[in-house]
Amino acid sequence: MRAPLSAVRGSPVLVVGLAMLATLVAVAVLAPWIAPYGPKEITGDSFESPSAAHLLGTNEAGADLFSRLIWGSRTTLVVAVAASALVLSAGIAVGLTAGLRGGLADTALMRLVDVLLGLPVLPLLIFVGALAGPSLSTSILMIGAFLWPQTARVVRSQTLTLRQRGFVASARGFGGGATYVIRRHLVPALGPVIAANLVFVAGLAVGIEAGLSFLGLGDPSAVSWGAELQRALATGQSQLGSLWLWWLLPFGLALTFAIFGLSLVGVALEPRFNPRQGRR
Amino acid sequence: MSQLVEPAPAATGPASDVLLAEPADAPTLFRKGRRWWATIAGYVATVFALVTFNFGIPRLMPGDPIEALTAFGSPTYVLDDTTRASLNEYYDLDAPLVRQYGDYLSGLLRGDLGVSIYNNRPVSTDLGGRVGWSLLLIGTGTVISVLIGIPLGVQSGWRRGKRVDRGLLAFFLAYQNLPIFVLGSAAFVVLTVKLGLFPYGGGSHPFNDYTGLAKLLDVGRHLALPATMLGLDAATYQYLVMRSSVVGELGSDYLLGGRAKGLRERRLKYAYAGRNALLPVVSVIGLQFSLAVTSVVFIEQIFAYPGLGSYMLQSVAVRDYPAMQGAFLILTLTVVTVNLVVDLLYRRLDPRTVA
Repeated sequence: MRAPLSAVRGSPVLVVGLAMLATLVAVAVLAPWIAPYGPKEITGDSFESPSAAHLLGTNEAGADLFSRLIWGSRTTLVVAVAASALVLSAGIAVGLTAGLRGGLADTALMRLVDVLLGLPVLPLLIFVGALAGPSLSTSILMIGAFLWPQTARVVRSQTLTLRQRGFVASARGFGGGATYVIRRHLVPALGPVIAANLVFVAGLAVGIEAGLSFLGLGDPSAVSWGAELQRALATGQSQLGSLWLWWLLPFGLALTFAIFGLSLVGVALEPRFNPRQGRR
Repeated sequence: MSQLVEPAPAATGPASDVLLAEPADAPTLFRKGRRWWATIAGYVATVFALVTFNFGIPRLMPGDPIEALTAFGSPTYVLDDTTRASLNEYYDLDAPLVRQYGDYLSGLLRGDLGVSIYNNRPVSTDLGGRVGWSLLLIGTGTVISVLIGIPLGVQSGWRRGKRVDRGLLAFFLAYQNLPIFVLGSAAFVVLTVKLGLFPYGGGSHPFNDYTGLAKLLDVGRHLALPATMLGLDAATYQYLVMRSSVVGELGSDYLLGGRAKGLRERRLKYAYAGRNALLPVVSVIGLQFSLAVTSVVFIEQIFAYPGLGSYMLQSVAVRDYPAMQGAFLILTLTVVTVNLVVDLLYRRLDPRTVA
């Protein structure tokens, strides 16, 4: 995390990725000013073709698709931030506990992680999501609940190596308590690993939320890119026009754009912070 | 297969190129030194966790497991208190949890997955008709992914850092980031709806009375696009693993020896390096299956393919919980079982995994 500017200068991939993310955040924050209409405002007929008034036409209810595209970025962003915050806090807590305590706690937690990692996540999400009822907070909570094991494993292995390092040993030798060592030494040292992990988790979360919405398991009232894809596909089948060009395509591209941006940042952070990969 | 080759000091390449970094999360499914009985114990624990989860979650949710069926606002809303009570009795919901759990387990052992609320048929019967379609789809997809991923991975790894490699790597890394449901929808709309190249959906032509070759062709035509989408999705992973595995073989003594013998490049590439590099790819199959199950749910949904994934989603749509739970259990149990088989198989293939 040191000298972020010099880090950026070295890597075009990081620059592009960050620029994409910045665009996404700007669109989400400025949505009320950029979007010509509200996302649910009915401003035209059903299935209007693109025009000056409706850049991407209208949906089945007559709402402006361009506005929905812009407002949808907020859902994506909320999911990315909230879900990865959940995943990271759970993952870090478990990983640190397992790595520092060792012994039985470590074995038990890591067995749990193994079991969870072996399960296919999507059926689990569908199962719990269907029973809990679709809502945005359910999606976020579920993503948090099922994605933390990977982070926990990464944090644990990193903690194990850090524990052996001189500065941690000497801090403990001078009488530093567990909380002190965690706060003063471990968390800063884990920072880079966590940063890279954060970006990957955020990308996964965005994809999963869109996927669930695409399968009709998302929040029916939220304006979500995934849900929009589902609706476009369901209607496209019966309408057979060029509807997909301004309905399916823009929302698919927006989603891809978000995931790509996150992934590029992740790829760029990875070798920097993973010394094993840097050494080639 | 017993050369214990030191990981080659990798061939030189532009050091700062991010695209040339090895894939970050090379699968760590198999932790070295784990005994076979520990693996099996882990498997049993996982299966137990899944079954308990399947039993417990509906009961942990607010209300009771059939609340979604009987509550206000559901299509099967039950107003009458006596009907409600008899439903409770039918599903045995007033019994102590331990007994319910026992009954559930013994039912499972007899292959009883309950009765669908939607069509009143045993869930196991419905699922039985679906499993084959899903397996056909995943199986064909896997074959396609092997045919694409492995040769390209060898090609790319062999010419590490060259134009071919950089191009392929960039392509697959980008492809990996495209959500399968976006790609699947696009392929469906463009190739099926607009160009009319493939049938609209389903596993075969409805009401057909094809026999023999005609039947095979019909199933194949319906299978082609969904299986290709699935295959391309999985090929990315195989490509990445194969590539980095081949890169690990570069500079090995046996390659030098082969070259000194005057072997052809092709033979060195495929029969020597490629063959030795194949082992890690086997280890990904289990992981891949788990990913394929995720992808197959989307693909079946988009192409209306009559498999387990679309069955699960249909059950969710009509709130047919016994059916949904049955599909969930079969899907997840298949995944963990495949993982176990691959794990045990891998031990036989590579004795080094056991310390």
